[in-house]
Amino acid sequence: MNEINFFIDGREAEASDGMTILEAAQANGVDIPHLCHAEYLQPTGACRLCVVEVEGQRALMPSCAVKVSPDMKVSTGTERVVRARKMVLELLLSAHPKDCMTCDMAGKCLLQKYCYEYGVSDTRFKGGAIYNYPEHRDNPFYVRDYNKCILCGRCVNACAEIQGDFIIDFAHRGFATMISTPLNRNMKDSGCVFCGNCVAACPTGALRERDAAGVAREWELNKVSTTCPYCGCGCQLDLNVKDGKVVKVTSNPSAPVNGVALCSKGRFGYGFIHSPERLTVPLVREDGELKPATWKKALDFAARRLCDIQGESGADSIAGLASARCTNEENYLFQKFMRAVIGTNNVDHCARLCHASTVAGLAISFGSGAMTNTIADISQADVILITGSNTTETHPIIALQVKKAARRGAKIIVVEPRRIQLCDIAEIHLCQKSGSDVAWINGFINVIISEGLHDASFIENRTEGFEEMKAAVKKYTPEYVENITGIPADALRAAARVYATAEKAAILYSMGITQHTSGTNNVMSVANLAMLTGNIGKPGTGVNPLRGQNNVQGSCDMGALPNVFSGYQQVSNPDARKKFSAAWKAELPESSGLTATEMMRAAIKGDIKAMYIMGENPMVSDPDTGHVRKALEKLDLLIVQDIFITETAKLADVVLPAVCFAEKDGTFTNTERRVQRVRAAVAAPGDSKQDWRIIGELAMRFGYRMDYESPERIMEEIASLTPSYGGVDYERIDREAVHWPCPSKSHPGTPILHIGAFTRGKGKFAAVEFSGPDEVPDADYPMTLITGRILYHYHTGTMTRRSRPLDEHVPQAFFQINPEDARSLNIADGQFCDVTSRRGAISIAAAISDAVPEGSIFIPFHFAEAAANALTNSALDPIAKIPELKVCAARVSPKEDAQRMLKY
Amino acid sequence: MSTSALTEIIERYRGKPGSLIPALQKAQAQMGYLSGETLEQISKGLGIPFSRVFGVATFYSQFYLSPRGKHTIKVCVGTACHVRGAGAALQALEEKLGVKAGNPTEDLSFQLETVACLGTCFLAPAIMIDKDYYGEQTPKTVGKILKKYIGGGADAGTPDPEE
Amino acid sequence: MARFKTFKDIAKYREKLNKERDSEATAVRVCMTGCRAKGADAFSESLKAELKKRGLENKFKVIETGCHGFCSMSPVAVVEPGNIFYGNLKPEDAAEIVEETVVNGRTVERLLFADPATQEKIVKEKEIPFYSHQKRLVLKNCGVVDPREIDDYICRGGYAAFSKALETMKPEEVVEEILKSGLRGRGGAGFPTGLKWRFANKERSDKKFLVCNADEGDPGAFMDRAVLEGDPHAVLEGMLIGAYAIGSDEGYIYVRAEYPIAIAHLNIALKQMEELGLLGRNILGTKFSFDLHIKEGAGAFVCGEETALMASIEGKRGTPRVRPPFPIQSGLWGHPTCINNVETLANVAAIIENGSDWYASMGTEKSKGTKVFALAGMIRNTGLVEAPMGMTLREIIFEVGGGIPNGKKFKAALTGGPSGGCIPEQFLDLPIDYDSLAKVGAIMGSGGLIIMDESTCVVDIAKYFMTFTQSESCGKCVPCRMGTKRMLELLERITDGKGTMKDLALLEETADIVKDTSLCGLGQTAPNPVITTLKYFRDEYLAHIEQKKCPSLKCKALLTYTVAEDKCKKCHKCAESCPANAISGQKKEIHKIDQAKCVKCGMCHTVCPFDAIELS
Repeated sequence: MNEINFFIDGREAEASDGMTILEAAQANGVDIPHLCHAEYLQPTGACRLCVVEVEGQRALMPSCAVKVSPDMKVSTGTERVVRARKMVLELLLSAHPKDCMTCDMAGKCLLQKYCYEYGVSDTRFKGGAIYNYPEHRDNPFYVRDYNKCILCGRCVNACAEIQGDFIIDFAHRGFATMISTPLNRNMKDSGCVFCGNCVAACPTGALRERDAAGVAREWELNKVSTTCPYCGCGCQLDLNVKDGKVVKVTSNPSAPVNGVALCSKGRFGYGFIHSPERLTVPLVREDGELKPATWKKALDFAARRLCDIQGESGADSIAGLASARCTNEENYLFQKFMRAVIGTNNVDHCARLCHASTVAGLAISFGSGAMTNTIADISQADVILITGSNTTETHPIIALQVKKAARRGAKIIVVEPRRIQLCDIAEIHLCQKSGSDVAWINGFINVIISEGLHDASFIENRTEGFEEMKAAVKKYTPEYVENITGIPADALRAAARVYATAEKAAILYSMGITQHTSGTNNVMSVANLAMLTGNIGKPGTGVNPLRGQNNVQGSCDMGALPNVFSGYQQVSNPDARKKFSAAWKAELPESSGLTATEMMRAAIKGDIKAMYIMGENPMVSDPDTGHVRKALEKLDLLIVQDIFITETAKLADVVLPAVCFAEKDGTFTNTERRVQRVRAAVAAPGDSKQDWRIIGELAMRFGYRMDYESPERIMEEIASLTPSYGGVDYERIDREAVHWPCPSKSHPGTPILHIGAFTRGKGKFAAVEFSGPDEVPDADYPMTLITGRILYHYHTGTMTRRSRPLDEHVPQAFFQINPEDARSLNIADGQFCDVTSRRGAISIAAAISDAVPEGSIFIPFHFAEAAANALTNSALDPIAKIPELKVCAARVSPKEDAQRMLKY
Repeated sequence: MSTSALTEIIERYRGKPGSLIPALQKAQAQMGYLSGETLEQISKGLGIPFSRVFGVATFYSQFYLSPRGKHTIKVCVGTACHVRGAGAALQALEEKLGVKAGNPTEDLSFQLETVACLGTCFLAPAIMIDKDYYGEQTPKTVGKILKKYIGGGADAGTPDPEE
Repeated sequence: MARFKTFKDIAKYREKLNKERDSEATAVRVCMTGCRAKGADAFSESLKAELKKRGLENKFKVIETGCHGFCSMSPVAVVEPGNIFYGNLKPEDAAEIVEETVVNGRTVERLLFADPATQEKIVKEKEIPFYSHQKRLVLKNCGVVDPREIDDYICRGGYAAFSKALETMKPEEVVEEILKSGLRGRGGAGFPTGLKWRFANKERSDKKFLVCNADEGDPGAFMDRAVLEGDPHAVLEGMLIGAYAIGSDEGYIYVRAEYPIAIAHLNIALKQMEELGLLGRNILGTKFSFDLHIKEGAGAFVCGEETALMASIEGKRGTPRVRPPFPIQSGLWGHPTCINNVETLANVAAIIENGSDWYASMGTEKSKGTKVFALAGMIRNTGLVEAPMGMTLREIIFEVGGGIPNGKKFKAALTGGPSGGCIPEQFLDLPIDYDSLAKVGAIMGSGGLIIMDESTCVVDIAKYFMTFTQSESCGKCVPCRMGTKRMLELLERITDGKGTMKDLALLEETADIVKDTSLCGLGQTAPNPVITTLKYFRDEYLAHIEQKKCPSLKCKALLTYTVAEDKCKKCHKCAESCPANAISGQKKEIHKIDQAKCVKCGMCHTVCPFDAIELS
């Protein structure tokens, strides 16, 4: 951008061409007051507080909206300008309630700030009309008090420009103008997803977080920036702390991934931190009951029992589950503990249940199993193919990039059995039969090749195995595929053409692709499609698996997997073993350990006798929970380290109280391979302990020293042993984002993978054949059960269901069923039904919705009392050992009693 | 409005830029006012967010979101009419009809409106009932004119130039 | 109808038409637009029936025209040959006109215009002072042609200028010609049209829009309505020339929905243009193409503002946005968009046809040509007036307008409607042009010219305009949304007799800052009526505040209502209507108003059939 010269308040100054006067002034240290403008929104020039004098212009100019030009002479503080600003403030104040002394926004309110600065203490417009709106408390998340609204429109623009949802707008006009939902409907019925981005944008007290009411004023808050503990987006947020408690979450426009945006979980899901149900003391099972114990007693007991079992049955009779919720440092230590102290590779974590097939499949195709491009990059794409991901609910902040791209004109293709929200903005929605993904992707490839739309030079120069793959897809003509998938042949053709002819096409996928017995094949098919069209290794393209949990990427990176050390260094590789062995000063086992899913089977068989589970809840998250219970109950020793008594912890022999994200330091690696800091904001409750210290103290009891000073020291060790994290250190990531691979301190990191060459050299096309799901509907179980997440809850609900607004908004389990099916089964909306599979049965309320196709039902897996995973099938993908959580056969029968729940 | 009529309007304007206002105008011409349901259907049909549709429908004074009276009385309060006493005529009409300007009468027989200017300043003060103009109105004359419309009279006004 | 394929086709067609029409010199031109409000249609039907009855219908034509301008004589008709002007026509007059004028060639005296001073009858339209002082350029076809007949327009030279521009001039030459003519935008601000076109011409874009702003919303203004109703093709030909000049291939006419006749006539005109090949692809066999759409407004005054108008065309709330970027740079859907007012466009064809020198010879140094005014208020000859720039206010009011009726005294003239200002008596000899008006704090505006006499209260007028702008404020920017509301409240306090000197100071301060700080023209000009009335009639404000008196006896709250005993017919209506039970006396008794109880609503004055309630 060119630099230009202009004059501000009589002195010469520099600005970049294209800057607004406001920006140029700020760049030169001159603050101009503004209310309607926010740097992250389009300027509207409505409030007129930022007016300045520009030489040669008759009227005052709004500095937020007018661009600076060469030699422009700007005066920001003349008497005329100050007089205008004072009048604007006085006019606003003339209709604004003057309850600053009790207003939650005191100290943060911009109207208050500027009135103070300009000495506007009262209004001379006495006795004039004021607003007399009722305060809206129509949702659990925030309050709307439009008497305090100054109609700056930031909320409207935040909803439109950030969230892309257009829930609110200006209504009426003149003095009667107000912000309104359509027909002034309740927020709950308006389609609002309660991201609260409007609340974040509001400069006054018109929009306020409900739970923060009357709790603290701005100056009493200590803000600690950290990383969101929910999904894999890796949003940065500020924990607002008063008197040692997190009383509010706010967002920060400068946050790298999300800017000012958060979703309802990130912004309103902090209540669990101070839940009275938090574990505060260790528990040890005595006489069949878990009883409070001292740390010494609990750790001594756990160590002794582990030691005994290790001695009696060998190290491989012990298994550990690390946690996608814990930090990199904790995961690293956990796997180090299992490998160096216990001496087994039986370490895994719930990535097994979500993206094991990604890690395996993309490793085969590309040599590296992670998202190839960045989140920000998605909005650059011309076409975005989304499959197996209900992005708006599972990765809300990534969905914002998709919507942004669509508003820019990008075409969205959704391939999804359900009608997800993104279908509303999609050019094409293909509704495939659950578990038929290889077939439709092969169909795409068939069309692209037969129409000559493939990128021959990319294939020639960058890949191998094309001919074999081409031969394999030959029979997958659109008509053949239609028979398998139910996708009309012409629709498939049209979609394939849109994808193939795009300049830049990105693929986003998630567990709809991975959680199948054909998961690894599905992933390789996706990779085939991207390579076929050359959509890899450049901006706006890529194969982008959206990782589900805050640190699932990191825990994989850290080697919390049975076959690799940190940075995917194979345990079978003697050099790697030698390196780690030397650094850890321990003999290390050679053969791969058991996967999480295999551990349960081995426990039932009696091969695994002890398990150490850190921050996971397989009793709700794993398929076929009946089978999991059997396994865990069979164990001689179950150690669970968590922040709540989870369904899994209830079965433990020892429960070790750990701390949550708000109480710890460390790092998370988000889905785009960005390593970010987690910072402690409040003290741990009771006697609960940092996870890394618990592991260390346990190790000490084996005579193994793990006495790190701090997580930062652990990261230093990680960096020294893990090439892809070689350049990561706290000082650096405090300052700048780092995407791995980042081998050295001077390396800039790698936002986009596979530029120029694939990690494995050439990309590998895989010849993949379609094979159906393990279990398909039949006469006894005629419905297809799909499981997944919803926006307002997370994983097994341990955190979200203890956060008031989220729990109040969606308090109960439900299953979605198509209106046609509901009619034929005589099910009313909200009616409780028995849903049964070959593995179990649950009682759950029906939510009739045409979002699910006929013959399918959808159950979110967050609710332990109606656990979807009591029904799911634990059949595994042969390569990745990921279970087929997305498809099984089920039966629905309405319950006789007319018990209903409120509609969600 | 019949669903098919609305569907027809939506089909006519779907995908055309800037079609929201004409679509609302046509829908209102069909039904007399724009119900919430109509607005929502137009929003869905044209793919324009409902909040935007509501924002537009409430911005322009031409649109009515509730049922209107059968005969629309527009009292011109333009400058020429104002200086010649439109206020008194309006006040008298409000008295006689028992409603404030901008509202329908209780029996929905009349809709009393003010209009910024009818462009008939030579008639000042002017009123317009449906498509008929009445000039030089006083509190005394408006009563007489109203009687013409009570009980179904005076339906044949000035012919619609569009017909 | 033929379809024009070459330049020659138009001229040939005109020749053919004129030949056919030579025999049709006899006709009655009946105003069928504005005059409809006073029953012109019934008269016209009656006239046609009468002609038919006498078998004259083919010999003698009734031409249903647009506005003749002399609205206070409505309904009007002119009989040709002879240029005989009849006014205040009723259906029953038709027979007499046919009998006397058509058949016997005599005038019907009683229907002629009488000079108010001398009571002398004037026969010819063009000799009536109302017309004789005017210079009808824009209105030359209004009241003459049938606006629903494109042939009428072509006969009178229509589309010759367009054809000339297309055949003999480069777009840049058209732009320069308009620039040289000195034509300034008639929408109000007076920006040089040629300059606007030059900017538009120079914008590089594969898509440009030309928009005709026909959202005439000023209360008291009906110039654009008359032109669109009476001579739509003049505007449309201007648009064609403009589109060619700036390189646009698509246009919009944004017209108030309150003008159904204008919309109907535009629709007819567009259809006829399409049939003749004057719209669409490759017009007259050239590379020039132009499509034109009509957009009906939906009732928002602010949409006359260019950026709000564009938002409205795009189907959004009609809220203005910050400029720059100007519409010329980024307008409709982000494309360069040139917006011209109706009257501006109606001038274009004549300039191209007669040349810029001819046009520039009319008017004053910086304001060329003519201006159409809607003359209304306390004036005898209400109507539509076209005056050369530079004509004095006195000439317009007293020569053309016939002066103030009822023996009242002139007080002030208001130009520019709610955005304008008032001009007091001392400036009656001010030449009317953009710059002179600006000098005295008023604006040319779009052409509304409201005359006030001594019975008009200027504070009430200021309040009236503020009521209007306040209710028409879009609500986007703070100074306009809140400022106009607060100014209105202050004015209400003053007219209610509750105002203080502090209120007056606050009113002035607010007016000043709202003008300086508002986002768009609506807010920036909304305080003008207040500012100018304060400037020239401060005493009246002071009377309201300090003496609690309204010198013009308009502000109800400041009046004392008493029953004139000599006029009271004891009907009791006043007492029945009194909301405060302040009127004592039963039927058949003289009534009395208890001043302590009186809330000064004025209802008794309104309802008294005998004018027995006196104001003081």
